[in-house]
Amino acid sequence: MKRVLALATLLSVVMTLTACSGGTSSAGSAPAGSAGGQAASASSQTAAVDWPKKTINFYCTHASGGDTDYMARKLASSLEKVLGVSIAVTSVGGSNGATCTTQYKDGPTDGYTFICGNTAALCGNKATKLVDFGYEAFEPVAIYGKQSGENIVTRADAPYTNLKELIDASKKKPNSIKFGISTGGGVYIESCVLKNLGGTQFNVVEAGDGATRLTALLGGEIDCTSLPYSTAADYIKSGKLKSLCTVMSKAPDLMPDQECASKYVPQLKIDTEYVILAPKNTNSALLKAMNDAILKVGQSDDWKKIVNSYCMQNPYVLNLQDTLSNLKEQDNLYMSYQPYL
Amino acid sequence: MILQGLQIVMNPYIILLIAVGTVIGIVFGAIPGLTATMAIAMFLPVTYSMTSSQGVNLLVALYIGGISGGLVSAILLNIPGTPSSVATCFDGKPLADKGQAAKALSTGVICSFIGTLIGIAMLILISPVLCDFALKFGSFEYCALSVFSLSMVIALTGRDMPKGLISAVLGCLLATVGLAPIDSRPRFTFGNFHLNNGLQLLTLLIGLFAIPEFMAFAEKVHKPEKVVINTNVKMRGGGVSAKELLGQWFNILRSALIGIGIGILPGIGGGVSCVLSYTVAKNMSKYPEKFGTGIIDGVVASETANNGTIGGAMIPLLSLGIPGDAATAMLLGGLQIHNVVPGPLIYQNSGAVLYGIFFAMVLSSLFMMLFMLFGMKFFISVLRIPKNYLLPLILVLCCIGAIGDNNQVFEAYSVVGFGLMAYLLVKAKIPTVPMILGFILGPMFENNIRKSSQLIQTDSLLGHPIFLVFIAVTVVVVILSLRAYRKEVNASETEAASATDT
Repeated sequence: MKRVLALATLLSVVMTLTACSGGTSSAGSAPAGSAGGQAASASSQTAAVDWPKKTINFYCTHASGGDTDYMARKLASSLEKVLGVSIAVTSVGGSNGATCTTQYKDGPTDGYTFICGNTAALCGNKATKLVDFGYEAFEPVAIYGKQSGENIVTRADAPYTNLKELIDASKKKPNSIKFGISTGGGVYIESCVLKNLGGTQFNVVEAGDGATRLTALLGGEIDCTSLPYSTAADYIKSGKLKSLCTVMSKAPDLMPDQECASKYVPQLKIDTEYVILAPKNTNSALLKAMNDAILKVGQSDDWKKIVNSYCMQNPYVLNLQDTLSNLKEQDNLYMSYQPYL
Repeated sequence: MILQGLQIVMNPYIILLIAVGTVIGIVFGAIPGLTATMAIAMFLPVTYSMTSSQGVNLLVALYIGGISGGLVSAILLNIPGTPSSVATCFDGKPLADKGQAAKALSTGVICSFIGTLIGIAMLILISPVLCDFALKFGSFEYCALSVFSLSMVIALTGRDMPKGLISAVLGCLLATVGLAPIDSRPRFTFGNFHLNNGLQLLTLLIGLFAIPEFMAFAEKVHKPEKVVINTNVKMRGGGVSAKELLGQWFNILRSALIGIGIGILPGIGGGVSCVLSYTVAKNMSKYPEKFGTGIIDGVVASETANNGTIGGAMIPLLSLGIPGDAATAMLLGGLQIHNVVPGPLIYQNSGAVLYGIFFAMVLSSLFMMLFMLFGMKFFISVLRIPKNYLLPLILVLCCIGAIGDNNQVFEAYSVVGFGLMAYLLVKAKIPTVPMILGFILGPMFENNIRKSSQLIQTDSLLGHPIFLVFIAVTVVVVILSLRAYRKEVNASETEAASATDT
């Protein structure tokens, strides 16, 4: 009897887990290819009327715990109320989002598969040649938010008060100031732009991801670096670190006093915006329907609260056309950095 | 603030969440292939709709349960449920084979509890001091620490040193697959984008430990007498006596400190701490030859250390916002989402929630001990399930776990590949644990030596005393181990020679 009981328990655990990983099995299935796209667009009108009728899949380009995943999940739960169907969010992290985008760019075009990512990774991975495609390999659906951005920070006792003083100090004593980066990522791009377009002469050293760069900066191994505002905020407030500027093109809405790096190095504008993409050839009526739903979410008070507290930004949701032109602009900017990377 | 923290936790709903979180964590830890990290990843989105104290305490409970649960399958099946329980297999399984599974399990559970408590005590009492220490660890220091830890592999393998080294080097080589650290150049990816992420520790662990168990069983399956219910488990009086545990006090304390020490250094984690602690316990023991034959010392060393790592890893996580391993990185995200921002202002900004976390950790480890001690009968009943039913189920779970790691079916293929490799290794009598260590420490060494090479232009090695100490200790360990090895080889040669003479 005991044996039967134990076996039954084990079986139920297996079944529960299999059920939990429902999103997983579809994550693994081979993408359907783009051939279905034409057929789909032929019946676009009908599809638009009938959509959505079943669970929608969101594949997030970054792992759980990060901002890209958090925003995707928040959007999904708000969208569920607008669309009336469930949205399953599956995180497929790795290679700064490249694993997910490679796997799903030619995914099913039936309007039930979407990719949630961020523009810095999308454009940056193409510029650094980690992948050979950018936004044009997808059907852009919507840009639905802005990150609070990265700030160039030093220890509080450093003698510089703004980016210009830091640049000048590095020129005066070349290779003496250690700028910590994570090669290949956004900070790496920043360091290349700073060097080639801002004329800095840092000793650029590898210092790992955000948390490791923070440790290296606090421990004195590096002198300055760029950190997500959310990582550095408490250190700035407690007087251990000093923010010299944000690298965004415009200071976050709720922190308008921050200086922008572009004041001194005009080309240095790294905006991380959250974006929803669909596999190439997903029909336009479906894209429009999804975009409309996301615009509707963006107007709600709940969404405002989320982005205010988490991103220090006001709601920022773009329609189809603006999303496309924004991505084109960011892509052009990143590709203009490419010779220096 | 302390009282406020207590108040937060003493809410029936939160106590329930902690209890449920601990149990789910234990289940994730106990099932090979599912880990604490995965439990946190799966439940993180669930906490989005909770208040910050509810969400955060649930995640912490999952973490503690997840690390502790690994000992069950390590002892009963010789398959570590999580990387943190690798060293528990060494003595846990032989104990279970002797019919003392209950003793091994209770020892493991009680030591896990004590290890967690010592870790939490350190976290509460001296975390600022320890944080300053952790900040002194830069690239040079990590580089030396990884060399030191790798040198312990030599001490661990003893007589099989060449084979141990082969295994460790293979581990280091496997870890080079994927995007290179620092310059992100693809290495050994053969154009397959799945390999860009590199091979995963979890899949390697399942491949190395689970698959050979299945294969070994498959070899015997044609002999029907082997497919019998294992009733060789004594349940009455099978627990461990207080006297036995008290006799281990020094081992417990030392292992907990090793665990905490490894825990506060970001990037290493329980997988290394349990093996290091086991090795130290073996080398300092009066009877090192008995290690691996089924003595509680080994279980004590491994389980105290890996749970000590929990408190250790929480120190830089909470005080600096720096995660120590994959599970704590996930926790960091969870805390931030709930507006508890780890860092220098955490006591000011979220003091009550923070004390709540401390109480939740104590409560969760208490629940862990109670659930596991009372659930012992059930765990052991797993041994009574005929293996021809049990193993296929576990294999399925392993693959589900591997896929769930990053939602990629590719990981299941990796498990099979590693499994076949492991089978050959086992046949060649090459130990697999050094491979795990090589896999974790190799990239750490590479990453940090490359970083150091960039820094050496402006930094002098003499300015890094911790680096110098580690290198000196490494040299001593290597020399002593080589001498011990040579002695053993000579002794066995003389033995063999005298055997042929007679």
